[in-house]
Amino acid sequence: MSPFAALREQLHAAAETFADGPGALSGILSGLVDDVDRALAEPLEIFPVCHHSPASALAMARRLREKQPEVVYLELCEDLRPVLDELRNCRLPVALQAFATELDGFPEGWGPLNVVAPITEASAEYQAIAYALDTPGVELVLVDRSADHVYQWLPQERPDESVGIEIGDLRPRFAELERHLLHHAKVRHWSEWWDQYVEQPLSGADYATYRQVMVLIGSLFRRLTPEDSPRLAGDEERERHMWTRMREHLAASGADPGRCLYVCGAFHAASRVEEFGLHAAEPAYEVTPRTGTTWQYGIVPASHSAVEAQFGLAPGSVSIAAATYAKAVTRGGVKTYQLKGRQATTRPRKAAPAAEGPVTDRLTGFLSSPPALDALDEAELLGWCVDIVRLARRNGYLASTADAIAVFETSILLAGMRNRARPTPYDFQDAAVTCIEKDAVPGRRDVAQLCEILLGGDRIGEVGYAALPPLAQDVYDRLEPLGVDVRKRAVHRVLLDFGTDPELEPCSHLLWMLRRLMPDGAVRPIMGNRALGERSRQESWDVAIGHHQRALIELGYEGVTVEQVLEQRLRKMVTDPEATAAVALEAVEESIVLLGSRRFTEELGARAVELLAAERTVDDAPDVLRRIRRLLTHYRSAEPALPAWVERFVTTGYAHYCTLLPSAFVADDTGVRQVAAMLGFLSGMESLAISLGCDRAQLELAVKQSHPETPGKVALLWAARFQLGLLSSAELRARCAELLANPLVVPSFPQYLSGFVQALEPAPALTPFVVELISDAFATLPDSVLLPWLPKLITTLKDEAAELVPVLVREAGRTFPGTLAAVDAWTPPWTAAPAPTPVPTPAGGPVTDLLTAHPATTDALAALLGCDGTWQATGATGPGPGPAGDLLTRHPAATDALAALLAPR
Amino acid sequence: MTDEMLRAPAEAKYAEELDWLESVDDGPKPFSWRLSPRMVRLFVLGSERSDGLDREIKQKWFGDRSFVERAIVTLASDRGLLLIGDPGTGKSWLAELLSAAICRNSTLVVQGTAGTTEDHIKYSWNVSMVIAKGQSRQSMIPSPIMTAMEQGVIGRFEELTRSTSDVQDALISILSEKYVSIPELDDDNIVFAKPGFSIIATANSRDRGVNDLSSALKRRFNFVRIPVVTNKRSEAEIVRFRTTELLRRHRIELEVPPSLLDILLQSFADLRAAAQSATSDDEKLESALSTAEQIGVLEDAILHSNFFGDSTLRASTLAGSLVGSLARRSPEDLAILNKFWHGVVEPRSKKDGGEWQGFLEGGRQAIATLS
Repeated sequence: MSPFAALREQLHAAAETFADGPGALSGILSGLVDDVDRALAEPLEIFPVCHHSPASALAMARRLREKQPEVVYLELCEDLRPVLDELRNCRLPVALQAFATELDGFPEGWGPLNVVAPITEASAEYQAIAYALDTPGVELVLVDRSADHVYQWLPQERPDESVGIEIGDLRPRFAELERHLLHHAKVRHWSEWWDQYVEQPLSGADYATYRQVMVLIGSLFRRLTPEDSPRLAGDEERERHMWTRMREHLAASGADPGRCLYVCGAFHAASRVEEFGLHAAEPAYEVTPRTGTTWQYGIVPASHSAVEAQFGLAPGSVSIAAATYAKAVTRGGVKTYQLKGRQATTRPRKAAPAAEGPVTDRLTGFLSSPPALDALDEAELLGWCVDIVRLARRNGYLASTADAIAVFETSILLAGMRNRARPTPYDFQDAAVTCIEKDAVPGRRDVAQLCEILLGGDRIGEVGYAALPPLAQDVYDRLEPLGVDVRKRAVHRVLLDFGTDPELEPCSHLLWMLRRLMPDGAVRPIMGNRALGERSRQESWDVAIGHHQRALIELGYEGVTVEQVLEQRLRKMVTDPEATAAVALEAVEESIVLLGSRRFTEELGARAVELLAAERTVDDAPDVLRRIRRLLTHYRSAEPALPAWVERFVTTGYAHYCTLLPSAFVADDTGVRQVAAMLGFLSGMESLAISLGCDRAQLELAVKQSHPETPGKVALLWAARFQLGLLSSAELRARCAELLANPLVVPSFPQYLSGFVQALEPAPALTPFVVELISDAFATLPDSVLLPWLPKLITTLKDEAAELVPVLVREAGRTFPGTLAAVDAWTPPWTAAPAPTPVPTPAGGPVTDLLTAHPATTDALAALLGCDGTWQATGATGPGPGPAGDLLTRHPAATDALAALLAPR
Repeated sequence: MTDEMLRAPAEAKYAEELDWLESVDDGPKPFSWRLSPRMVRLFVLGSERSDGLDREIKQKWFGDRSFVERAIVTLASDRGLLLIGDPGTGKSWLAELLSAAICRNSTLVVQGTAGTTEDHIKYSWNVSMVIAKGQSRQSMIPSPIMTAMEQGVIGRFEELTRSTSDVQDALISILSEKYVSIPELDDDNIVFAKPGFSIIATANSRDRGVNDLSSALKRRFNFVRIPVVTNKRSEAEIVRFRTTELLRRHRIELEVPPSLLDILLQSFADLRAAAQSATSDDEKLESALSTAEQIGVLEDAILHSNFFGDSTLRASTLAGSLVGSLARRSPEDLAILNKFWHGVVEPRSKKDGGEWQGFLEGGRQAIATLS
């Protein structure tokens, strides 16, 4: 007969009394007892745990010492097993991590996949891991679904960040229940409820009570979970997986179930799946295969605050749990397990397995008596009060001993009001806020935060060198010449002077690569720059890699060296389906600056040519033009000849942009700036393209075929025709004058002007003309057009033609007078009457003398060409008027010497 | 008796409830308190089924439980209690409830103003009696604070930061030595505070900097900051609770439709959000947009509908009251309200329709009248 029969009867009777007859309530209540009965009757000992529960950790330590199991089954992703050994090189809290960037079998855009399982010291799972790893002959078997299955079983939507998994997640599964519990217990958050109703009563309880109560709570939350909850379905699937794996392991290893321990969340201990138990009648559960995704495993540092944030716990609750645990360990004489720095070699004394007594009912006693709470620990509370006052004073508060007394008194009064003899850390925090916090916070932290620091504070873990992936180790090794320990969590300022320490150059190189790959702030250049054609002789850096250890470790999943990762990232950038030619050119630039591998650069360049040829839009034309110009300058100055890919890029680009030009001129979605950049490419690269075999006729044809309609593009077309010599400057001037004269067109004149400003890119010779045009516009446009247009002109110039403004300003500076007085007398050069061109008189000299002496040849040639010219009288021998003439007159020596040289001997 | 008062103090209004609580209270009581701290909390925050009481105690103050607990334990300790917060957050109401529950007397109040003198805190003299009989305890007029000391009850000091620093500092000796000496008398010249005496002061956080408390006084007070209620559900409960009380007081039979209450709450929530994102004082309303302000708007609308309307509360009347109460500065506040009406109310009335349309029209008219 079940030891819980009496309790079951009692609950049944209670349900009848309070719920008007046996119904759902009765089912739930007796179901709870059934679950406990079932879990305890299982031959494989089930150890129910709850996350961040010091009571669980202590009970675990005690039970492991007592039972000395040979196999420990743990509810943790089975593929994380190999990284557990590395825990001995780390300072907790850390998180086990499974990471995947190359996806196969998951929807596109899900990557990177990231599963983290934080491990803190005050947890039952750490006790189990430390025991199993440090005790020879003990096997640790992880039985939960793999990281791959974590993502497989997710609802079909991509999680925002990493998926956190925790052993022993024990919390009501529907919000109303939690709200109800918190409301009636008169506590603020879940951690406080748990502390008051479970943690404290169980901290000193014997193992049987602990186990029964935990299963009971797990069962309660489970039975109150809505049946159709997708989360419950996922939990059941995991339970099937875990029990199947355990049965498989027992069958394969032949281990005695009596010498094994199964550590799982209390929620799973009360499982009702058919596969539950070693003797389940159900056929074996089929574990679905993993996808083809390649997973990488490692350990990353974690912190208490990160754990709280990820799992929605109250701020400070994990730190408080850690402090409670530490106190219980020092006081209670429980010998806990701690991973040693290296593998244990000596076999410890093996305790005789504790004899399992028959299960007796401990629940009735627990449920029928009020929670046995801790008695007031005066020394502890006094310590807290004194410390908080000290801490507050250091943070700018005017706190004194009187406040310590007040906090002490208030803590006790608050605890009394909340039905507890011993003030919990939460009571203490409230009391400290009441007594010390005044109308303003004097420093950076308020009293509530100071309390959190006092009661344990946020602790940040660290992964030891040996547990790091090769890339991270390599980075640390290569940064050693810097002379600072970059592993420390601090911001190191380092100065690199390559003149005195040329051996630091590789470090600088690595730092630039890390800057490209790691998050902002990990490495930050304070002085020095690196770009195409730019290198500093001195650099100064702020290195904070210790703070960003996790990012460095995650980089380690992508490759073995930083160079490899960078190469992969760049390759991925250009092979992305969304990649454009501009992106590829950016990758080329980065590969030249950071990697310096000619072969790889050429590969990226070849891809850039492919992308450009395949592009159907010209949205990126300005970017492409800017980048290819920079690259051309670089290659011309640094290499004897242009690389083949650049030549192909220029010829392909010339043909490509010529082809697209007519349609770009008329397309509504292509802006003036883009067309200007295309024309800039065509005119700027023209000589190179023609030397490589392109035909100028192609461009002329393209311009002739273009018939834009919008004013901006019309202006651009005129400029292009001017550049090609198809339109003279006089014609251009006349056309613009027509525009200004036509009142119907005047309102759209500003748009023409924008087009001309953009045209400075392909036709820099137009600069004086554009200045003239703007000046004319200011002079002639009516105010109704001019005034609304002026602000727009400034914003347009700033946004779209920032690089062209200096050119315009320089030209304007040349054209307009510099002083106010000169303005009155100034006439614009374009309105001034053109100076009469003097009829050139042929200068005298030996050549002229020769021709006049023997006119027959020249006359014959003229007759042949159909030209009936007349002979002019020669002017005076000597230099003509003008500056050149003046110069020659003043310094005749050079000319005389030349004449002497040419004179017939 | 309460029928003869326009507004009965809490101890009179809830006398029957307090009597009952006192009769069932078996918890330990500090000093001369009439109720134990747990019962005080229960009186203020209302009872639950799990409290196991035979009758229901209504919730009277809405806010975080821990504020009330911290306030109660402060009163049981050696220090005074200073409730600090924006205007209209229920500080004075909480102070009144606590005094009523602890000592059944919430009327020993000193109102802090620029004209408050030390006499208002300590004592003054009945001049004609002094001339007739000389200075004696009979011719002395004790202040409410001194009366509280003599009786061992709670004294209240409203708007502490409105009174000048020297007046504030008179409280220092009262709070630390717990007696007031009367040097004018030769004997019987010290009034000692009886156990149970404490002070609840309130201060408006918007008045910060007018008369800052000295450090000496600050450390004799525990500060409990009462935030503006932003939880829509609690706010609706507060407004409903206070409005029902008001209707009863004015003996008005008028229904407040839930949809109008929603409109009011939503408008305040929107205006608060706008005020939070404002960068200068000119861009936010002068009003603190507190819950009390909402109650004021609703009260105004109800009275208006009752006396000048057809005894039905309409959305347009509510809008008119809202504009009238919040437009304090012209043109700044009016401009903000105008922007709010065009940018928020108008789209909402198009989307949701219903009462919002009346609200839109009423608001427009009110703004037009005031502009």
